[in-house]
Amino acid sequence: MANDRLRALEEVENQVATILQCAGNIVLELSKDKHNASFLDRQLSQFTVSVNRVETELSSQIKYLTQVATGQPHEGSTYSARKDCQMALNRAEYARVKLGELGRTCEVMLDPQP
Amino acid sequence: MANQRALPQSKESLLQNYNKRLKDDIRSILDNLTEIIKTAKVEDETQVSRATQAEQDHYEMHVRAANIVRAGESLMKLVSDLKQFLILNDFPSVNEAISLQNQQLRSLQEECDKKLTSLRDEIAIDLYELEEEYYSSSYGQWDSSDLPLCEAYRRWDSWASPDRGATSGSAQGVEEDTDGPASQETTPKHGTITAADKP
Repeated sequence: MANDRLRALEEVENQVATILQCAGNIVLELSKDKHNASFLDRQLSQFTVSVNRVETELSSQIKYLTQVATGQPHEGSTYSARKDCQMALNRAEYARVKLGELGRTCEVMLDPQP
Repeated sequence: MANQRALPQSKESLLQNYNKRLKDDIRSILDNLTEIIKTAKVEDETQVSRATQAEQDHYEMHVRAANIVRAGESLMKLVSDLKQFLILNDFPSVNEAISLQNQQLRSLQEECDKKLTSLRDEIAIDLYELEEEYYSSSYGQWDSSDLPLCEAYRRWDSWASPDRGATSGSAQGVEEDTDGPASQETTPKHGTITAADKP
């Protein structure tokens, strides 16, 4: 859910770049002696679509945040679960080390060096 | 209480500020591009000379293009602020992310502990067999106060079922248990080296 909203905002950033790109292309085309009308129409329509998208998306995000924001800091954390998991991994590592020592001891006993 | 009321007000004003910035930037982009396109139109009649008019139009277009770029950059800053605000204040998604992370960590921990438990059970079975083999051989010397694991389980089984103790098989086993230490201590058998056996 959070990733979707963040991805939508990244898409908005791309749209803002598209807006500036289209504006630049329009001004560049107008600077020529002979204008390509179809090119100008395409750029202008793309510019308009991008502007509408940016405005709609950012307005909806701001409206969502107005409904959701409480002004208080979030106090949730994953510390306890992370600590328990880390301890379990430490137990597994300890067992692995001890089994390794046992294996080496068995090898030494079974194949003593002269 | 006044402080609690002050915090939501600042958030509210912040979001209103975001709205205002959005409207202003979009309006700035649209107006400036419209004015550039209007200025691009060549007029036959001008109040000043054509060169002056051209110079003026050139400067105006320059400034309006800079305004468009400034408004675009302001929109990018607004998007960045909204991302930050979303990460910090979107409680539903933060709660979901925390619960998902907790779930993943707990499942990893349970899987780790389950594997360790099964490893422990397997090693316990092997250890039982190894102890039984070792202590039933001549190399295993023990007294009644220090029981090996297999012997302790055997005695526990015989104590747990006294009816079985009345039958001949377990009676023999009990007798063997009681006689075992004494026989090993008093009459050394296979595997033990006596003084006479030494070269």
